[in-house]
Formats: sequence, C-alpha cells, structure tokens
Amino acid sequence: MTTLWSRLALLVVLLWTLLPIYWFLKISLLTPDEIARFPPPLYPLEPTPAAFLNIFGFDYTLADGTVRRGSGQAVQILRGLGNSLIVSFVVTIVTLVVVVPLAYVFARLEFRHKNTLLFAILLAVALPPVSTLIPFYAMYIQLGLAGTLSGLILVTLTITIPFVTWMLIGYFRNLPPIERLARIDGYSRFETFLYIVAPLGRSGIAVAAVIAFLFAWNEYTYALVLVNGTSANTLPTAISGFLFQHPEPSHLAASLALSILPPALVAFFLQRHIAEMNLVDPVR
Amino acid sequence: MQRRLAELSNLQFSLLLALPVLVFLLLVVAYPLGYALWMSLHQIVFFGGYRASFVGLDNFLEVLASDDFWWSAWVTLRFTVQSVVLAMAIGLCLALTLNRPMRLAGLVRTIVILPWCVSLYGTGVMFSYLAKGQTGLGTAIAYAFGADEAVNLVNRDWVIEVLAVGNAWNMAPLVAFFLLANMKTIPSRLYDLAAIDRMSRFETFRHVTLPPLRFTLFVFTCITTVLSMKLFDFIFVLSGGGPGTTSATLTYQIYKESFKDLDLGYGAAMSFFLLAMILASTLILYFTWGRREAHRA
Repeated sequence: MTTLWSRLALLVVLLWTLLPIYWFLKISLLTPDEIARFPPPLYPLEPTPAAFLNIFGFDYTLADGTVRRGSGQAVQILRGLGNSLIVSFVVTIVTLVVVVPLAYVFARLEFRHKNTLLFAILLAVALPPVSTLIPFYAMYIQLGLAGTLSGLILVTLTITIPFVTWMLIGYFRNLPPIERLARIDGYSRFETFLYIVAPLGRSGIAVAAVIAFLFAWNEYTYALVLVNGTSANTLPTAISGFLFQHPEPSHLAASLALSILPPALVAFFLQRHIAEMNLVDPVR
Repeated sequence: MQRRLAELSNLQFSLLLALPVLVFLLLVVAYPLGYALWMSLHQIVFFGGYRASFVGLDNFLEVLASDDFWWSAWVTLRFTVQSVVLAMAIGLCLALTLNRPMRLAGLVRTIVILPWCVSLYGTGVMFSYLAKGQTGLGTAIAYAFGADEAVNLVNRDWVIEVLAVGNAWNMAPLVAFFLLANMKTIPSRLYDLAAIDRMSRFETFRHVTLPPLRFTLFVFTCITTVLSMKLFDFIFVLSGGGPGTTSATLTYQIYKESFKDLDLGYGAAMSFFLLAMILASTLILYFTWGRREAHRA
C-alpha cells in the first residue's frame, strides 16, 4: 500500500514537471507541416533531428529530399552558450564565497540591528527591474560596462547575493550547534567555519550553488538591455531572437532544449551532496 | 592575529562580513534608485525635443487617481497570492516526495529541478503554447476524444490562473530543494522515536518534519512573494498583459507607461508604489509570522 501511494505520488510529480516541457520541446522534432497542423499533434509522427543540427549551423536533408537549412543564428547561439557558462560559473563561485559566511553569521550569532541589516540586504532585490533598467543602462554607459560580461556579472550578483543569503539562513539555523565544541577545542572562528560548519552544511551549500547558477543562467531582463546585440550576448537573449527575427518554432524549441541541458548537468552533479547528515561523525 | 579575530564581538565579526556586501549592493543599487526618484519628480517629454521639468509630487498623485493603477495593483495582488500559495504547496509536496528513499534518486531530483532550469522567457513561451487554444494540450486532448472545439485557457476569466500556475511551476523546485536540504538535517532517530510512539503519518509530519522547516517556509514565502511581484518577462511573453488589460500587473503597467507611452516620470512614480507594495508585504509577513519563527528554537 505504502509503495503504491509513493509510486503514484512520484508519477504525479514527474507528470507535473515534464508535461509543459514535453509539450513545447516536441516542436523541435516536428516537421513544419506538423507544427502548423490543427488540432496540434500529441506526439511527433515522424521525428527528425533537423532543428538540433540547424541551430549549430548544419544543414539536414529530410527523407523526401527537402533540405532544412542551418540557422544563420548559429554563431549567436554558440557565443551565447559560452558567455552564459562564463557568467553563471563566475556568479556562482563569487556568490558562494560571499554568501555562505554571511548567512551563517546571520543564522547563528545574536547581535544588535540584525534584522535591520537583513532587510537592508533584501531591499536590493525588492527593486523591480523594469523601473531600474533605464538608470542602469545610463550608469553602465558612463562606466563603460554596457556590453561587457563583467557588467552583467555585477548586476547578476545584486540578485543572487540577497536571495541566496536569505535562503541559507533558514538552513544554517537547523544545523546542530556543534561549532561550540570546536571553539572549546581551540579553533578560531574562521577555522571552525572552514573545517566544521562548511562540510556539515554541504547539502544546503550545494543547493545554494544550484540556485545561484540558475539565477545567473536564466537572467533575461538585464541581459536584454545591457548586453543584447553585443559580443557579450547570453543564451536567453540569443534564443529570444528566434521568436521575432526569424520565426522558426522548431529552432526556438531546440535551442530551449539546449539551454536546459547545462544547468541540468550542474544540478545532477551537485544534488549528490544533498544527503543525510551523519551526526555521529559529522566531519568525514 | 588569530587571537584577535577570536576576540571580536559578535557584532564586529558580523559587520566585518556584512559591510562589504552592503556597500557593494548600495553602490550598484543606489544610483539607479536615485535616478528613478529623480525621474518620478519630473515630467519627461521626448516629442518636440527632450525636456524634463520639475513637477514635484504630481506624478505620484496622478498614479493614485488613475483607475489603471488600482486595477493593476489588484491583478498583482491576485497573481502573487495564487503564485505563492501554489509554489509553496507544490514545493512542499515535491520535497516530501523526494525525501523518501527511492531508486534512481539522483535522476528524479534532476528531473524535478528542470522547471527551474527553464528561463522565465522559456516558461512564458512554453505555457503560452500549452494553454492557448490554437496550439494547446487541452485542444489536442479534446479533439482526441472527439470534441471539435478548441480549449483556450488564455481568456478573460482564467489568464491570471494560467500565469500563476506557470510561475508556480517555475518556482516550486527552488522551494522544494531548500526544503529537502532542511529535511536532511532532521536526525533519523527522531523518526524512529515517532514510530515507537505509534504516531500516524500526519502526526509524524506535524511534530517531526515540520518544526525545523517553519523558518525556511517563512523565508521562501517572502522570496516567492518578492519574485512574483516583480515578475515581468514571463507575463510579457505569455499574455502581454492581455486579453485587454485583464492580466496587466504593475510591472507590465510600468513597462507600458515607461517604454510604450514614453512617460518615464509617471512610470517611475508607479514603480515606487510597487516597491512600497513589495516592502509592505515582506514586512507584514515578518511581523505576523517571521518574528515568531525567529524567536522559536
């Protein structure tokens, strides 16, 4: 009975997650005829890998001899992929280095003005990007940061740092107060943090890394204004070009599939650290 | 050196860590904020030559007198409440499912986080394709069962719900993964004790699983609220504020005033009302809920 219910729950979870993705990504395997068909087909009748080759600039010949031309946007897609990877990795690493100690301190130590400081950090993310876009652009032009990766990294950090700090605080509060023992053993604050707290809290830190990576990977609004059309173009903005400049739904779907792949790999490798804490021997 | 560090007071130690971050955030955020404030106090005209004339609080008063603003505030509120409730409930369900031992757990976790890997732009495209009558899943299924009428969910009555479901679909994994990490801090012997006490599954959830999650639940309610209220790209792609103005949230209205009607001062003034709304809701959440959780444990 128990296994039946948990299998059912798992099934519902997978359906909820995959259905919207499936419904759109199936377009990448459809022929133009099938895309235009009404009612829309439930599954690809003659799946072709054409779109996936096209977005990298390769031609593909269908069985009936028609050639699906490689997309002229291929350069943009590849460059966007590279830029997005650089931005996301740099942002993830910087965010973790800054945020993990900060969240730990806010979660564990009692001091005056703690809540004021916390809300000051939150204020930075409360700003709606729509209203700060023009000022940001003006500021970036003056500083020479418009159209650069470092400019985009800076903006993204103002989003990831506050959010991830808030998220990790709740997590660190739950860790057992084992660091007091370490302090008694003569560890400094810094050593305690590095050798005791960080290994103990690796589940939360791994999740924080995934979250920071994804915030950076998916950032669209600022990227659209600050780097779109320059050599620092990122993948989301490059993809959005397919909808308006060159309406080719299968290319849009294929490049969206491509954009899901790297973060999914990062998530796959980091999720292994989400594990039961072994409190008998917390430092393994 | 080590000795000195060890003797820092809690406040000094935390300021040492927090101040550089605050200064960085202040430097990057202060200028746009100041600039937006300046715009909100001016009437900015582009046609017939660029002019900016100081008008004091006129823009703010004009916003308060506008029906569009109040409608958009209501849409934002409705969209946010639905998004947050859905995202938190679904996130909790996802986390509880993932927390059970299972085969291929790594693969299942990776699949569950996939929606969060789709950018908001992509989510917008996906849900617009999924819910619209011409291309939607509803239509395909209805026809498969012999109906001959398209099922269109992007209509006046349901568009906000479609937006909220799409937004919750995107945000739920974020909630789920932190809840999951938190569940892993619960010592497994507590579950053994609960089993000895013959607690039902619901009692175990209430007395063992839930207590260490409460603060995280509060934090994520705040985060999803902030994210939903300032959400723009997803709404822009999915519904473009329509049909008509049915789904024109404040962010969409600000975009329309600032970039389509080019009334930058008016748009900036409206964005301060949105900012106030976001801050007010997080403060209300803190004083009615968060403060209690912060003192617990």
